[in-house]
Amino acid sequence: MRRTRVIPTLLLRGAGLVKTTGFRNPVYVGDPINAIRIFNEKEVDELVLLDITASRTGKGPAFATIENIASECFMPVAYGGGIGSVEHIRKILGTGIEKVVINSAALRNPELVREAAREFGSQAIAVSIDVKRRLFGRYEVYGDGGSKATGHDPVAYARTMQDLGAGEILLASIDRDGTMTGYDVDLVSRVTAAVGIPVIASGGAGKVADFTAARRAGAAAVAAGAMFVFHGPHRAVLITYPSQAELSAALN
Amino acid sequence: MAICTRCIMDTTDPDIVFDAEGVCNHCHRYDVVARQRIIPPAERKERLARLVAEIRQAGKGKAYDCVIGVSGGVDSTYVAWVVKDLGLRPLAVHLDNGWDSELAVANIEKTLKTLGIDLYTHVIDWEEFRDLQISFLKASTPDGEVPTDHAIWALLYQIAARHGLKHIITGTNVVSEAILPEKWGYGYFDWSYVKDVHRRFGSARLSTYPHFSLLELFYYIFLRRIRMVSILNFIDYDKERAMEVLQKQLGWVYYGGKHYESIYTRFYQAYLLPKKFDIDKRKAHYSNLVLSGQMGRDEALEAMKAPVYPAELLEEDRQYALKKLELDEAAFAEIMAAPRRTFLDYRTSHGLFELAKKLVNSSRQLIG
Ligand SMILES: [Zn+2]
Repeated sequence: MRRTRVIPTLLLRGAGLVKTTGFRNPVYVGDPINAIRIFNEKEVDELVLLDITASRTGKGPAFATIENIASECFMPVAYGGGIGSVEHIRKILGTGIEKVVINSAALRNPELVREAAREFGSQAIAVSIDVKRRLFGRYEVYGDGGSKATGHDPVAYARTMQDLGAGEILLASIDRDGTMTGYDVDLVSRVTAAVGIPVIASGGAGKVADFTAARRAGAAAVAAGAMFVFHGPHRAVLITYPSQAELSAALN
Repeated sequence: MAICTRCIMDTTDPDIVFDAEGVCNHCHRYDVVARQRIIPPAERKERLARLVAEIRQAGKGKAYDCVIGVSGGVDSTYVAWVVKDLGLRPLAVHLDNGWDSELAVANIEKTLKTLGIDLYTHVIDWEEFRDLQISFLKASTPDGEVPTDHAIWALLYQIAARHGLKHIITGTNVVSEAILPEKWGYGYFDWSYVKDVHRRFGSARLSTYPHFSLLELFYYIFLRRIRMVSILNFIDYDKERAMEVLQKQLGWVYYGGKHYESIYTRFYQAYLLPKKFDIDKRKAHYSNLVLSGQMGRDEALEAMKAPVYPAELLEEDRQYALKKLELDEAAFAEIMAAPRRTFLDYRTSHGLFELAKKLVNSSRQLIG
């Protein structure tokens, strides 16, 4: 069996990469082209590229930037940010991106997921779900880059997205983002138990053992941001990725 | 073309002069500098012990004893190794200018993990730095690496000052870096130069670019009493042996060529300098090894016959550099064809540095 995929998440703000904590306080970590060149040589399984400003500006995806980045990537890439229509998705897939990640548009207009899956196939459509833990351990889906409560329960919402045709769920814990304290394993098991499509655990990875924990909780893949760009107590920017041997030992 | 009878420097250095025996000024300078700065073997043990005690004393009660720069290259990695071996507690500082190779970051990671050293990284905003690098390309001087070098020194001083540390331990060394013609590379301490070139050719605002004016340099040196320590001058630094240690002990990987751990450096030294300025830095580098007895003169001359870098990799680097700098072929051709200039065509602090050197004989020790 193929081992669990391990996916660096890159956050794009304008032309540069940033890393957030709790979806806030973006810290500049460098130029995407250089980061990708390094990840290419590290032979990462896949990349998730999320433009955290594209939704807010309302201008939609920055196609030229996406194309420029996609052309440098040796690995499969999923892109998210500012996607609002089937036309957007067609253009993005046309740049060489394998998969799109839909978030705000899926909350606003769930039918887009159905249309997109019908048009491009479920394997090309991922839905990302950003989750915050509320009082008494209740989970809630947040929209608009983690800033707005939606009232949705992540388990029910994930099931709806699966029924609409999403091929994959990118499940992000807003509370754990950038903390490197481990995934929200409870959240991961709840969602993976409820859906049949692959779930990518995201938010909180700090060490390889965290990947193992997410896999045990049912994740088909694990994503990490801070772990692959920050090093040591000063959170010094240094791009890393575990060796294939390390990953096989932890995830096979 | 005249060539020195002792080293392999030649008249591609416009300022070179030969004595009656055909020995060049670089050789003479090497002899002086080596005498002044390489610690004689008999005194090394004691001087080094004194230095280590002084650094430890200065770091007492602080989180670190000293600052070291790390690039993933052999000199800086070896410094990390030596400093740990001496029982010091260094803070490693890295400047990310957007051109690190995978080998460089992997080397840094392995070194720091194995030796247990903390890291601080400063990432220069790429849009800003791109603007500055292009400015230097347009300035048409061979000093296109000055934006990086200046930022590294500025960063080292800043971090030392921030942590209250008095020692910056560097990998600069007489054995491999005593020869460097001024017209082949000038200005890494000269903010006036960087500023003037950027004022003329740049447009972005330099807001995350680390730099220091002459006044700030004096502040660091004389008020904060921050010292640059060329630790490799205190030990028997043999590059081949050093690399062996690093490979065996740290899993460090060689990247071929001096300072080729940065893709821009590789592009600049292997493509731009030879093609545009007729400068081949290997001449200085090999001459250094010849003078320090690590390479025979014939061996050096033979080695010069090999290409600087394999042609197809050179072209790969060139295309990558153009893409990253967002220069099209026409703009790059214009840069390559522009008449050569030197730092003398710009506003610099060169005169002041020369004066300072004459006035304060010891300034060399202070500013490396
Ligand atoms: Zn000579």
